[in-house]
Amino acid sequence: MSPDSRHLLEVDQLSTTFATPHGLLPAVSEVSFTLQEDETIGIVGESGSGKTVLARTIMGLQPMTNIQVEGSVLINGFQVVGASDPEKRKHWGTDVAMVFQDPMTSLNPVMRIGKQIDETLRVRLGMSRQSAKARAIELLTLVGIPSSTERYDAFPGELSGGMRQRVVIATALACSPKLLLADEPTTGLDVTIQAQILNLLGELQQRLHMSVVLITHDLGVVATRTSRLIVMYAGRVVEIGETRDIFAHHRMPYTRALLDSSPRISNPSHTRLLAIPGRPPNLLNLPNGCSFAPRCSFATDQCHNERPPLTPSSEPGHSFACWNPLPISTRSEMS
Amino acid sequence: MIKYVARRVALLIGISFVISIGSFYLIHLLPGDPAVFILGTNDSPANRAILFKQLGLDRSIVTQYLIWIGHVLHGNLGISFISHNSVVSTIKAALPIDLEMIFLSQIVAFASAVPLAMRSARKPDGWLDRVLGAGSFTLLSVPPFIIIVLLVLFVSIKLGVANTGPASFVPLSQNFLVNLESLVLPSFTLSVGSFVVYYRVLRSDLIATLQEEFITMARSKGISARRIMWRHAFRPSSVALLGTAGVNIGGLLASGFVVQYLLAIPGLGYTLISAIDTSDYLLVQGIVLVVSVGVVFINFVFDFIINIVDPRISRE
Repeated sequence: MSPDSRHLLEVDQLSTTFATPHGLLPAVSEVSFTLQEDETIGIVGESGSGKTVLARTIMGLQPMTNIQVEGSVLINGFQVVGASDPEKRKHWGTDVAMVFQDPMTSLNPVMRIGKQIDETLRVRLGMSRQSAKARAIELLTLVGIPSSTERYDAFPGELSGGMRQRVVIATALACSPKLLLADEPTTGLDVTIQAQILNLLGELQQRLHMSVVLITHDLGVVATRTSRLIVMYAGRVVEIGETRDIFAHHRMPYTRALLDSSPRISNPSHTRLLAIPGRPPNLLNLPNGCSFAPRCSFATDQCHNERPPLTPSSEPGHSFACWNPLPISTRSEMS
Repeated sequence: MIKYVARRVALLIGISFVISIGSFYLIHLLPGDPAVFILGTNDSPANRAILFKQLGLDRSIVTQYLIWIGHVLHGNLGISFISHNSVVSTIKAALPIDLEMIFLSQIVAFASAVPLAMRSARKPDGWLDRVLGAGSFTLLSVPPFIIIVLLVLFVSIKLGVANTGPASFVPLSQNFLVNLESLVLPSFTLSVGSFVVYYRVLRSDLIATLQEEFITMARSKGISARRIMWRHAFRPSSVALLGTAGVNIGGLLASGFVVQYLLAIPGLGYTLISAIDTSDYLLVQGIVLVVSVGVVFINFVFDFIINIVDPRISRE
C-alpha cells in the first residue's frame, strides 16, 4: 500500500460481543484491516467464524440490544461504532451498502421488486416517482434481468433465486455506494448461477469504481476476484495478506487446511478432499491459547496456553497468527 | 387471482344456500299449527283448512322451500303476522344502525390498535409493551355488557353527558350529531373487544416480521424506522389481523345485540329480541338469514382483501 492512497474503510481493533443467556459470546475479536478505493478484499472462513457478524458490525446494522461493539470502523471518514441509527442512515445506501446472503428471504415478499429498488432512490436521493422508476428499470437491466420493464412489477415470489439475487444487487447499487459489503452473495444459489453473479459483481465493481468486501467460505470464489484476503477463525483474523501470497506462501496451518479442503481443477479427478478434523470451537468457551490448536496437527503446549499475535511474514502486508508457522518455502499446489 | 375469486364466489353462494335451508327449516321446527297461530284458537277448522291451503302448507316441503327461496331472491321475506309490516322493511330500518355501530367501533379499534401494536413491537418487553399487554388482557376479560353499564354510569349519569344514556337513540336521518352522540358509548363498548384482539394479533405478527432478513435489508437502504414499519413490516404482518377482523366483525353483531338491548337502540339485535318476545317468527327467520349471510359475506370480503395485501396466498 502506498502511503498516499486513500483508505475508504478503516477497521481498527473491532470486537463484537453478544450477551447471551449462557454468557458473553465474542463473535468478532480485535479485527483490523483497511480497504482502499476500488479495491476488493476477501474474507474467508468456515461457517460460524464471524464473517457475517463482522460485515454487519462494519455497517452498523446490528441491533442495539444485548450487543457490545468495541474498536473503530471508519467508512469514508464516518465513525460507525457508537453512531445512532439516524446518523448511520445518512450513510447507509449511499456510502455503504450490503448484498445479503439469501435472496429467498432478503426481499420483501409482498412488495413489487421495482418498488423495493426505487424506494431507495426516492427516499435517499429525493428522486421523483417517474425518474426513480426509470432508474430502477435501468438498474434491473444493469444487473442482467431480461425484460426489466415488465419485471419491475413482479413480486419476488415470481422470480428464480438467481434473478432475486440480481434484484438484491440492484437494490444495493441503487444509490451508487462507495463501499459494497457482499455477504456470501452466492451461497444460496446453484453453481452455474454463482459464477454469473460473481462475474457480475466483479464487472460492476470495475465499472462503478466501488470498493468491495467479498465474504465467502469458498476459497475458489476469492482466488481471482480479490487483491487481498483475510482468513478468519473463531472471530479473529488468523492470516491477512495479498491474495496471491496467501495462496502461495500461507503460514497459518488453518489456511492450509482450508485450501486443502477446497476442490481444484488441477487435481486429478477423484482426488479425496481433506476435511479439517474436529469442529470450530464453542465461542462461549474459547481455549486460552490459539483457537485452532485443538484441531491443529502442529499444536504445542504454547499453542494451547498462549494466544499467538499477528506476526508479519516476509511479504509486505502479509501477517499470520501462529506459534509454529509453516515454513516460508511451503508452496501450495495452487501456484 | 380471477380463478381464486371465482372459486370463492362459488363457495359464498354454496354456503348461503345451506344457510337459507337452515333458516327456512327453523320455522318448521316450531311446534303448533301456523293456521291456529294466525287465526287464533276460536276460529273454525274449515277456515283453518282454507288458510292452511292459502299458505301453501299442503305442498311438499321441497316445493315450499322453492317457493320461499324464490320470494327471498326477489327481496321478499314475507309479512309479519304480528305487526303486519313487511319483514324486509323492518330489517331495512334496523340494519343501518348495526352497520353504523360496527363501522364506528372498527374505526376506533383499528386507529388505536395499529399504532399501539407498532409501538409495542418496536420494543418488545419495553415499559409500553408491558403496560399494554397487561391492560389489554384485563380488558379482554371484561364482557361488553359490563363495560356499557359502567360507561353509562360514569359518562351519562355521573358526568351527565347528554344523549348518551339508555333510550336516547336518534336516527341518523334525523340529526347526525345527536345520532353520533347516542352511538358513542355503544360503539366504544364494541371497539374494546376488537381493539384487544387486533392489538395482540398485530403485535405478535409485527415482532415476528421485524426479525425477518428483508427488514434488515430495508434498514440497510437507509430508510427511516417509521417507513420500515409502515411500508415493509405492516403489510406482511396484517394477514392474521384481517382474518381476525373478518371473524370478529361477524361476532360483533352478536355482542351488538346485548348493548342494543341494554340501551334500547332499535338495531337488528334489539329487533330480534323483541321479535322472539312476541313470537314474530317470520321476522326472526328474516333476521337470522340476513345476519348469517352477512357474516359469510364479510368474511368473503376480508379474504379478498387479504389476497390483495399478500399476493403469495392466491399464487399458492
